[in-house]
Amino acid sequence: MKFLFASVKKDLARWRQDKTAILIWLGIPFLIGGLITSMIDGGGGTPTGVLLIADKDESLLSGFVAGAYSQDQLGELIVAEKVSLEEGEKRINDGDASGFLIIPEGFQDAFLNETPVTLILKTNPAQTILPGIIEDVTEILLDAGFYAQRLFGPEIRQIQNADSITVPDDVFVAGVAVEIQAKMSSIGTKLSPPLLDVVIVEPPPAEPRPDMALLFLPGIILMAVLFASNSLAADYWTERQNGTLRRLVSAPGVLTGFVAGKAIAALTVIGLIATVTLFIGFIYHDVSWSKFLSSLVWVSFGGVGMFAWFAALQMLFANNRAANLVTTILLFPLMMAGGSFFPLAALPEWIAGVGRLSPNGFIVDRLSGELTAASSWTIDANSWLTLLAMTASGLAISTWRLKAGFARK
Amino acid sequence: MLNVEDLVKQYGDLTAVDTISFEAGEGSVFGLLGPNGAGKSTAINCISGLLSPTSGRIAVSGHDIIKDGKAARQSLGVVPQELALYEDLPAIDNLRYWGKAYGLRGKVLEDRVTEVLGHIGLADRAKDLPKEFSGGMKRRLNFGCGIVHKPKLLLLDEPTVGVDPQSRAKLFDLVEAERGDGACVLYTTHYMEEAERLCDSLAIIDHGKLIAQGTVAELKSQLGARDALQLTGEFPAEASKAAIDTLANSISDLEILTQDDNTLLLTLSSASQHLPAIFAAVSGAGGSVSETNLRSPNLETLFLLLTGKELRE
Repeated sequence: MKFLFASVKKDLARWRQDKTAILIWLGIPFLIGGLITSMIDGGGGTPTGVLLIADKDESLLSGFVAGAYSQDQLGELIVAEKVSLEEGEKRINDGDASGFLIIPEGFQDAFLNETPVTLILKTNPAQTILPGIIEDVTEILLDAGFYAQRLFGPEIRQIQNADSITVPDDVFVAGVAVEIQAKMSSIGTKLSPPLLDVVIVEPPPAEPRPDMALLFLPGIILMAVLFASNSLAADYWTERQNGTLRRLVSAPGVLTGFVAGKAIAALTVIGLIATVTLFIGFIYHDVSWSKFLSSLVWVSFGGVGMFAWFAALQMLFANNRAANLVTTILLFPLMMAGGSFFPLAALPEWIAGVGRLSPNGFIVDRLSGELTAASSWTIDANSWLTLLAMTASGLAISTWRLKAGFARK
Repeated sequence: MLNVEDLVKQYGDLTAVDTISFEAGEGSVFGLLGPNGAGKSTAINCISGLLSPTSGRIAVSGHDIIKDGKAARQSLGVVPQELALYEDLPAIDNLRYWGKAYGLRGKVLEDRVTEVLGHIGLADRAKDLPKEFSGGMKRRLNFGCGIVHKPKLLLLDEPTVGVDPQSRAKLFDLVEAERGDGACVLYTTHYMEEAERLCDSLAIIDHGKLIAQGTVAELKSQLGARDALQLTGEFPAEASKAAIDTLANSISDLEILTQDDNTLLLTLSSASQHLPAIFAAVSGAGGSVSETNLRSPNLETLFLLLTGKELRE
C-alpha cells in the first residue's frame, strides 16, 4: 500500500513537469467547443430582414401596406424601414437590405378606381429565405387588397373623401362601421366555415428540450478526457524505454501497487481536467451546481476506465510506434461515435445506439442524462458497476501484460 | 549468498545459457566474463528474476528465485546495462522511489538516500533532474538506485559500457565499497582489465557454456608461462602442420591451437626467442607470415587459448 502512494507521488511529480501536455488536453476541446458554440449561437437568435419602403403615394392605403409588414409575428422577421427612392436604390444595391418596395404615386386612387397599378419589389439576391418571405407576404397583401376593394370599396372611398384635416365625427365613423358590419353579416354565411364541434385535446406535456449547446458539453469534456487518458496510458511505454520497468520487476511484490498508483495518478490528472472543463461548462450553460460533484466523479472515474483500457491496448503491441499509431487512429472514430463531434441526441438512432456502446459514448450518454435531469445523482447503479468492471478489467490486463513480458524487454 | 546450479535458458532451438553452475559469497566480486552474445546478460536476467530459467536452480541468500521469488528479490540490487532512471524526477526522488520499492521508509530511507547521494558524488545535485546530468553522472545515479536498499547481492550488467575513464574509475570505487560493506557483487563484463582489477573469482562463458572458472590467479596458472603467438599470412594446411609438429620436437611445449589457411595460433613458452625458427619452418612449408601478434599470459590470452578467438570479437 505504501508503495502505491510512492507510485502516485512519483507519477504526479513527473506529470507536473509536463504542464504543456495538460494545457493541450484542455485547449483542444475548448477550441472545438468554442467553435461549436459560436456556430449554434452565432447571430444571437432569429434572423431578421430589413425591407426598405419608398412610399411615393404617401396615402392612407400606402400607409396600411407599409405597416402590414411589421404586424404580429411577421414583425419578428421583417423590419420595415421607410426610405427615399434614392436611398433605397443605393442600399439594396449595396446588399444592405433583404428587399426594397416602391409604392408608386397614385397607388390609392388606382386601387379604389380599380385601375392597374404596379408595385415594384426588388430583392437581395445574396439572401435566400428572407426575400422569399417578403415576396410571399407582398403577394398575400395584394390578394387581400383585391378582395377588400371588392367588398369595402365604397366605405374606403367614403373615408378617403372625408375631410382629411379635421377628425371624423362619431356619426361618420359609426355610419361606416355599420355599413361594414352589415356587409360582414351578409357574407358571413359564405365566409364562415361550417360549424364543427371542436374538441381540444391537451397534448401530453412535452419534456423540456435541453439547450442544444448543452448537449455538446459532455462530448467536448470527454474529448479532453480521451486525449488525456490515451497520453497517460502511453506512459507505460515511456517507462519501458526508460528501463524503469525492468528495474521494477526485479523488486519484490510491487507490481500491483505500481499499476494501481498509475491509475490513481491518472485519476488525479483527469479529475483536474474534468474540474476545469465542467466548471466552465456549468457557468456557460447555467447548469445547477447540485450536479457538479456527481458529474465530476462520473467523468473522472470514466476517464480512469478509458486509461486502463488504453494502457492494456498499448501494451499488446510490439513497439511504441505501432501502439501510438493504433490508439491515435482509434481516438477519432471513438470521438465521432461517442458524441464528441455531434451529440448522441442529434445522431440517427442506430448510430447513437452504436455510439452508446463505445466506452466514451457510454460515459457521454450518462453524463448528458445527469446534466439535463431534474435532479442530481441520477446515474444508476448498473452504470457505475459497468464502469467499475471496465476499469478493473483494464487494470487486470495491464498487470498481466507487465508480468507476461512487457516489463522485461 | 548466490548459488547457481545447472542453469539452462533456451529460446526455441537456441540455448542461450547451457548448464552453468557457480557460487559467489559475501564480501566478494564474482565476474562473469565473455564476449558479446556469450549469454552473460541472459544469465544475469535469470538471476534477477527477469527471465524464467528453462531448468536449473538459482538461490539468493538461500531463497529459490522461482519458488520463493519475493524473499530472494528482497536481497537483490540490480544495476542494468542500460540506464533505468526517471529523467524527469529529481535525483533524490529517484533514490527515494527505488528505496520505497524495497520497503525502506521514514528516517531509515532518508538517511540512506543522503548516504548514497554522498557515496555517488551527487549530493550537491540532489534536486536536479537527471536529464540535465552528464552521462557519467547518470551512470552513478543508476548505480545508486541499485544499492539504495543495501542489497546483499548486487548484479552489475556491464556497468562501464560507454562510460568515460573518470566515471569508470569512480564506478570501480563504488563496487569495491559495496564489497567492503559485505555485499556479494556479480559483475559481467567483456573487459579483461576490469575483471582482473575487481574480481576475486570469475567464470568465463562462451556460447552459453562455462569454459573456465576460478580465482584470477587460478585461471592464470592454467596458462603456465606460455605465450600466445598468432600468425597471419598464408599457411598451406598439411605442410604447415607437419612443419610445426616437426619443430615441436625441439620446442617442448609448442602446440597448435587453431589453424586455417590464413591464421595460425600457437602457444609456447618464451615465444619471442623461438620466432626465427617458427618463421623458418613456415617458410620451408611454402607459407608466408605477414603479421605477428605475441601476447604474454593474461585472462585475454586464456580466453584466446580456450576458445581460439578474441574476447571482443
